[in-house]
Amino acid sequence: MKRRLKEVVIRRLKLKDTWVICFALGLVMMNYPFISIFNKSTLPFGIPLLYLYLLIGWVFSIFIVYLFSRAAGHESESGGEP
Amino acid sequence: MLGINLVWAVALLYIALLFMVAYYADLRQKAGRSITANPVVYSLSIAVYATTWTYYGSVGKAATTGLDFLPIYLGPTLTAFSWWFLLKKIVRISKENNITSIADFISSRYGRSQWLGAIITVITLMGIMPYIALQLRAVSTSFTIITGYHDFHLGILEYFHLPSPHPGFFSALLLALFSVLFGARHLVSAERHEGMVAAIALESIVKLAAMLIVGGFITYGLYDGMGDLFARLHERDPALLTRLTTLGGSGDNSYSSMFSLLTLSMSAVMLLPRQFQVMVLENAREEHLNSAAWRFPAYMFLMNLFVMPIAVAGILMTGSSAGADYFVLTLPIRAGHPWLALVAFLGGFSASAGMVMVESIAVSTMLLNHVLMPAVVKITPRNWFPVLLINLKRFGIILVILLGYLYQGMVGESYLLANMGLISFSAAVQFAPALIGGLYWRRGNKAGAIAGLLLGFAVWSYTLLFPSLMQAGHWHSDILTVGPWGLALLKPQALFGLTGLDPWTHALFWSMFLNISAYLSLSIICNQGEKEQEQATRFVKVFAPESESPQWETKRLSKPVTIVQFVNLMSKFIGEQQASAAISDYLGDREIDGKGGVSEFELPSLKRFVEKTLAGSLGGAAAGAVVESFLSDIGSKMESVYDIFSTVRTSRDQSREALFVRLRASEIMNRSLRLDIIMEDLLALLLREFKLDLCVIRLLNDQGVLQVRSFKGEGGERITAEDRILEVDTHVGEAFLGRRTEFFNDTTYIVKPIAKEIFQREGIKSFAHVPISSEGSPPVGILSVFSRSIVGLFTEQFVELLESLAGQLAQAVRIVSEREAREGERRQKEAAQLENARVTRDLELAKQIQLSLLPESAPQLAGVRIACRCTPATHVGGDYYDFFQRGNDQLDLVMADVSGHSVGAALIMVETRSVLRAQMQTTMSTRETLRVLNELLYDDLTRAELFITMFCCTYDGAHRTLSYANAGHTRPLLFRAGSWRELDADGLILGVKQEVLFEEKSVQLESGDLLFLYTDGIIEAENAERELFGEERLCAIVSGMLEGEPESVIDRIMAEVAAFCCPAPLQDDISMVVMKLL
Repeated sequence: MKRRLKEVVIRRLKLKDTWVICFALGLVMMNYPFISIFNKSTLPFGIPLLYLYLLIGWVFSIFIVYLFSRAAGHESESGGEP
Repeated sequence: MLGINLVWAVALLYIALLFMVAYYADLRQKAGRSITANPVVYSLSIAVYATTWTYYGSVGKAATTGLDFLPIYLGPTLTAFSWWFLLKKIVRISKENNITSIADFISSRYGRSQWLGAIITVITLMGIMPYIALQLRAVSTSFTIITGYHDFHLGILEYFHLPSPHPGFFSALLLALFSVLFGARHLVSAERHEGMVAAIALESIVKLAAMLIVGGFITYGLYDGMGDLFARLHERDPALLTRLTTLGGSGDNSYSSMFSLLTLSMSAVMLLPRQFQVMVLENAREEHLNSAAWRFPAYMFLMNLFVMPIAVAGILMTGSSAGADYFVLTLPIRAGHPWLALVAFLGGFSASAGMVMVESIAVSTMLLNHVLMPAVVKITPRNWFPVLLINLKRFGIILVILLGYLYQGMVGESYLLANMGLISFSAAVQFAPALIGGLYWRRGNKAGAIAGLLLGFAVWSYTLLFPSLMQAGHWHSDILTVGPWGLALLKPQALFGLTGLDPWTHALFWSMFLNISAYLSLSIICNQGEKEQEQATRFVKVFAPESESPQWETKRLSKPVTIVQFVNLMSKFIGEQQASAAISDYLGDREIDGKGGVSEFELPSLKRFVEKTLAGSLGGAAAGAVVESFLSDIGSKMESVYDIFSTVRTSRDQSREALFVRLRASEIMNRSLRLDIIMEDLLALLLREFKLDLCVIRLLNDQGVLQVRSFKGEGGERITAEDRILEVDTHVGEAFLGRRTEFFNDTTYIVKPIAKEIFQREGIKSFAHVPISSEGSPPVGILSVFSRSIVGLFTEQFVELLESLAGQLAQAVRIVSEREAREGERRQKEAAQLENARVTRDLELAKQIQLSLLPESAPQLAGVRIACRCTPATHVGGDYYDFFQRGNDQLDLVMADVSGHSVGAALIMVETRSVLRAQMQTTMSTRETLRVLNELLYDDLTRAELFITMFCCTYDGAHRTLSYANAGHTRPLLFRAGSWRELDADGLILGVKQEVLFEEKSVQLESGDLLFLYTDGIIEAENAERELFGEERLCAIVSGMLEGEPESVIDRIMAEVAAFCCPAPLQDDISMVVMKLL
C-alpha cells in the first residue's frame, strides 16, 4: 500500500504539469489577496506572523522541489513498471 | 578597527587561495577529471546570485522598509519549479548551438540578428552599471568601515602626493584585475570555465559561512534568539515592528511591490548575464538542474535566515536604521569583536568579487561578440586575430567595471544598495518577453523582439536610470516633480498619470506593457525571414524527436568548399590547434572522399558545424557573418536545392513521385528479358520524369571496356560515341573504380580537362555517373545522366533514387547474363556428350579390329585339341595370343600381355603382332624368338613406357615335346593325371633391357595332358571383399574338368570368374588358350 502510494506520487511528480501547477500555486500564495490573510501584526511564537508564514512557506516549497528532484532521479528504477 | 596591513594580508591570502583553487580546477579539466561537473558545485556557482546586495543590502532593506527584502529570494525559489522544463530547454538549446551569452541566445533565436545582439548588449551594459556600482561601493565602504581608510589604501601611496582618487577606484582596479586573470585566459567562451566556477563555488561557501557565523553570533551571542529580538523591538517601538513586518497599502513594502519584486527576481535569476553564464553555459549535465532546483533555494534560505534578526539587532543597538546597509560589519565591531568583522568583510568581498568577475566576463563576451566582432569581421582574417580578440575581451572586462565605477561616482550615496540592484533587475527583465516567447512561440519574430526591447529599454532608462542620476543631484531640475516642459503626464516616476506605485512596480508595469505589446503585435504583423524561421523551429522544437526533423538538406553550396579551407578559416579565429581538434572531432568516422573532402551533401552540415564552432568564440551572429563572407570570397553561396519533385521536400519519407518512378522501373525490368529493351525503356522513363537532356548506359564488356550500350536524349555525339576504358582520368572511370556515384552539380568547377572540354561544348551544366551495381557486388556498368539547363539538380534524394534505379538495372543485367551463361553451359555439355559418344564408338570399332587380329579359331592339329578366347575388360586391351603352324606336326604358340589397357597398349600389341609375324617366317628356337623380339621392340616400349610379358612355346606333334621360353609372363599350367605343375623358365620382361638372354626348356607331353595358358586377368580378378581369384581356385576348377572339351573348360572358367567378381565388371582383360592331348 505504502509502496504503491509512493509509486503514484513519483509518477505524478515527474509530470511537467505538476511542476507548472506548483509554480502557479506558489505565485498565488505569495501575492495579494492570499497573502493578506497573514498580513497581521501578531507575534505567534514571538515571531511576526507574515515573516513566519514566508519562512515556513519557503522551507515547504524547498522540500517540494526536493521531492521533485528525487522523483526525476527515479526515472530508471520505476520506468519499467506499468 | 583593524590594522590596514592585516586586512590587506588576509584579503591577499584569500585571493591567492582562490587562484589556487581555480588553477587546480583548470588542471583537472585538462586531465578530463572535472571537479566542478557535479550538482553541488553547480548549485554553489548559481549562488553567485547572492552578491553584496544580499550580504549587506538585505539587512539595510529589512531595517528600512521591512519584509520586501524577501521576495528577491522567494522569486528564485518559485522559478525552481520551472527549471525542469524552462531552464532545461534553454540549456539544451545553448549546448546544441554553442551559445556564448544571453545576447547570443536571443539573437540566435531571431535569425542570428546582429542588430538584436548589439541592442541586448547595450541594454545589458547600461543595465548592469548600477549593479557593478553597488558591488564596488560595498567593497570600498566595507574596507573603510573596518580599517578607517578610504578605499583600498596602501601605505606606499602616502609617499607619492597623488591626487586622492575617488573612493572605490582601487576596488574597481583590484576587481578588474581579478576578473581579467580568471575569466579571459582563453578565447573560446562556449566551453566551461572550470577554474572560474570552482572559485565562485568557494566564494559561495565563504560568504554563506561568514553570514551564518555573524548572524548566529548576533542572534544567539548578543541576544537570546529571534523571539527575543522581536520581543525587544515590540517593547521599544511596536509601530516600527509592525511597519517592518507587514505589507502596507502603497509605495514600498506593499502588495504591489511584493508582486513586482517577485517578478523582477524571477526573471533576474535567469536573465542576468552572470546567472545565464553559470546556470546555462557552465552547466555540465542537464541532470544537475534537478538537484540545483532545491539546493539553490536552500542556500538562499540559509543566507537570509539571519537578515531580519541582524536588522532588528542593529536597530536595537544603534537606535535607528541609519547605516543599516553595513550592520553585518558594524555590529561585530560595536560588540568588540573585530575578528568577526574581518570574517564578515571576507564574506562581503567574496560576494562582490564573484559577482563582478562573472558579470564582467559575461558582459565582455557579449560586447566582443555583438558589438566589436561585427566590425572586426569586416577585416580580412589575419593570423594575429586570436591575440587581438582575447585582448579585446580583456578590454571589455575592464570597460564593464569602469562603467560601474563611473555610475557609482555619479550616484554616490543617495541610494540603498538593494535599490541600486533593483534598477539592474528591471533592465534584465526586459529580455523576458523575447526569450520566453522565443522558446515557446514560433511566430515570435525579430521585428517584435527588437521593438519590444527598445521600447522596454527606453521606458526603463526614463523611469529608473534617469531618476537615479537626477536624485544624486548632478542636475538640478524639476523634471521629477513637474515633468519635462511642465508636462505632468510625462513625469518619469508617474508616467501617464500612474501614481501610487513604488518606482519598481511603476517601471515594471510600463516597460513590460510596452515591451510585450510591441513584441506581440509586430510578431503578428510582420513575417519571418527564411533563416529566422529555421532558427525558430530549432529553438521551439529542440526536444522534438529526430524523426520529425527533415531528412534532406534543403540547401546546397554552389561551389564546393574543402575541409582544409574551412579549417584555415577557423584557425584565423580560434587558433590552429583548436581548429584541427574541432574538425577531427567532427569528422570522426564520416566518409571522406579521395580529394580529402566530404560528400557534397555533407557540406551544409559541415558549414553549420564551422558556424557553431566559431559561434563558441565569436557568438552566433558574428560566426554566421564570418562564414557567409568567407563563402562569398571564394565565390560560393548557399542556395536552395533544386526541388526535383516539387512536393515533399522536408518529409522524412520518400516522396510519392520517387516511389512512382521506382515502381515504373521495376515494371520495366519485369516486362522483358531482353536487356536492350529494358535499358531503352529505363532511359525513356528517366528522360520523361526528370528534367534530363541525355542519358547513357555503359556496360563492361569482355575486353574490360565500358561500352555504350544504350542512350537516349539529344546531342552528346562525343559522349555517346565513345566507350570508356577504366581510368580514374575520366569521371566515368572514377565512378566505376570507386564504386561511388560521381556527380557534379555545376560543371563550371570541374577540373578534369577532357571532361571540361566536352561539357563546355555540349553545354552540360550538371551530370551524374551512377555505378550499376547491386548491393555488395562490383559494378557492371555506369548509368550517366546529363542536364543542360539545371545547376544543382543532384540532391541527395535524387542521387539516392538514381542509385536505386541503377541497382535494379544491375539485377536485370545479372539475370540476363546468368541466363546467357546457363545457355552456354548447356551447349558445351551437349558438345562434350557428342564427342564422348564418338570416342566410344571409335573405341568400340578399335576393339572389334583388335579382336579380329587375334586368331579366329584355334588351329587343327592331329593329336591335340585347342581352344582359345580373349575377353577385353574395356574397349581395347593389351592381351594377345597367336598360333603359327609349321607343317602338319609343329605348332608355335605365343601368349602376351602389354601392361595397361589403353589405346597405347592396344597399338603396341598390334606392333608386337606385326613384328612377331615377321619373325615367325624364319624358324627359330623360342628363346631366340623372344630375344629378337625384345631387341626390336625395346625402343618403342621404352618410349611408350610400356612393357610386355610373353610366353612362347613350340609343340612338336611327332615327338609330343613342348619347348618353351618365358619373358616374365604368368606361368602356364600343365595338368597331368589329377596333378598339375607350372611351366617355368627364366627370362626378363620385354622392354626393360636391350640385351636379354632367355632360358629355353622343354617337356615331354603324354596323352591326357592339358596345357593351360592364360593372362593374369584371371587370377588377379577381385571380388567385393578385395579377395583375389587366385591360382588355386583356378587349378581346382581345371583339375575337375580334365575329361571335358577345351571349349567347355574356357566357358566354365569365364563363368566362374564373372560370378566371383559380380557385381563389378572385369577389371582386366582375360585371355586363355587350352591345349589338350588326345
